Amino acid sequence: MAENENRKPRKKRGKASTLKEHAGTVIIPQISPEMLEEARRAAAAGKTQEQIEQEAREAARREEEARRAAKARAAASAHPAAKPAPKRGKTRAEAQAELARSVHDDHLWLNNPVMVRGLGLAPVVVAATSGQTALMLCAAMALLLTGTRMLAVAVCHLTHNRYRGAIYTYAAAILYIPVYLILYNIFGADLAQLGIYLPLLVVEPAIIKRMESDELETVGDAFRRGINNTLGLCLSVFLVGCLREVLAKGTVFDHTVLNVAPLPLADQPAAGFILVGLIAAVWTAIGNAYVRYKLEEVRHLYDEPKR
Amino acid sequence: MMNPNVELSVMEAVAQFFLYAMAAVFAENAVLFRALGVSRLIKLVNDPEVRTWQYCIPVIFVQLISAPLGWFAQNWIYPFFVRVLPIWFQPAALRPIIFVSCSLIAMGIVWCLTGFSKSKDAYREQLPAATFNCLVLGTLLIAANQNYTLLQSIAFGLGSGIGYLLAVLVVDEGRRRLRSKDVPGIFRGLPSSLIYIGILSLAIYGLLGSGNML
Repeated sequence: MAENENRKPRKKRGKASTLKEHAGTVIIPQISPEMLEEARRAAAAGKTQEQIEQEAREAARREEEARRAAKARAAASAHPAAKPAPKRGKTRAEAQAELARSVHDDHLWLNNPVMVRGLGLAPVVVAATSGQTALMLCAAMALLLTGTRMLAVAVCHLTHNRYRGAIYTYAAAILYIPVYLILYNIFGADLAQLGIYLPLLVVEPAIIKRMESDELETVGDAFRRGINNTLGLCLSVFLVGCLREVLAKGTVFDHTVLNVAPLPLADQPAAGFILVGLIAAVWTAIGNAYVRYKLEEVRHLYDEPKR
Repeated sequence: MMNPNVELSVMEAVAQFFLYAMAAVFAENAVLFRALGVSRLIKLVNDPEVRTWQYCIPVIFVQLISAPLGWFAQNWIYPFFVRVLPIWFQPAALRPIIFVSCSLIAMGIVWCLTGFSKSKDAYREQLPAATFNCLVLGTLLIAANQNYTLLQSIAFGLGSGIGYLLAVLVVDEGRRRLRSKDVPGIFRGLPSSLIYIGILSLAIYGLLGSGNML
């Protein structure tokens, strides 16, 4: 039995091992002259045949690994934008779920609060009529949104997530006091251009929408999501404000861009609705095309598990 | 037997109330003229779980009750703060918290009133969203900015609530028709709703011309 066990590996080694035994010298096929020299030196040093074979195999393995690494480096330098190979263990369903999560968390583009979810429409449609008013709205939203969300979440942890409506609204109304004073110091009487749409921010769904959710997030999550939402809101407000100013007056921040006003009606709420609707259509079309492309990519990269 | 002068003043008050309420329902519709509560409206018409009346009836009652409270706050509480606060402090910073408090009191009263209804759970479920929204606070701020009297404030508040209900019904019907396959794919959903509201708003603009929305 023991003899059989000793024989089996030799059979597996194949023709090369048989040749070695018959020739009485150590011959290892497909090895470099340097390795052969090393093997001869080892034989001269009085090592056994098994030891020499083992060392030769190790050296061959090291050389093969080095060759593979060099090939991978060369491929990476030739295609710098090439994507890393997909993780072996991930299934297609998991990859699709991960993609859905990343789409949901992308508040700047794919899940923009204004253009995709329809939040914050009142100030965008009525008050964001120029670059200057858009800038003031952006500043107010940036100062108000994240702070409100964090303060409200902290209080909701104390009240076991009850009375969310009142907590979120009062958090925004309390924060509005220092925010208004800061904005008044920066913009002065120009702040009156926003009219009721500045104090309305304290009940704007873009800021207190979270009150409708039963799930209580952590303060850290509130900060991260608040920043993401703020960026998405500010991008939309700024885009709409500048575009409406160009269309209504032919200017951007009072600097003449066009000598004519292509659409003087653009600073009215009616045109605001239509314009935001058209931008939202283009926005979602591009976003949907990108998501479809990513889904197709996931379908190609990740095989269905075989049953 | 009433004095003719008293009778005339009562008639004038009723006429004024009716006029302001009608203006708020049609000409100065909160959604179509000032885009107040439009985000919530779009969510409402797309939400099969919430019925229109379940949200709009609490809104109307909150508007009706918060209007006199807002008038009281604007004419009695706000001037008190203006007198008391230091000169560097802008009292306008306190307006949201004052008016939100009026809404909160109105919400408490409506919560009690819904106890008499058979559908009290349905109403109470939507009560926070019906209280803390742009429509209620916006109406209070407009009434304060325009220096409306108590009667005018109540009429405007009631009219705004009814106007909101009207806008929801009109947009809901529009949404139903916009589900047609003839509508291009990229316009389905939010874009078509916004363009539809924009066209309705354009009709009011054509009727009234440029007004002061702020």
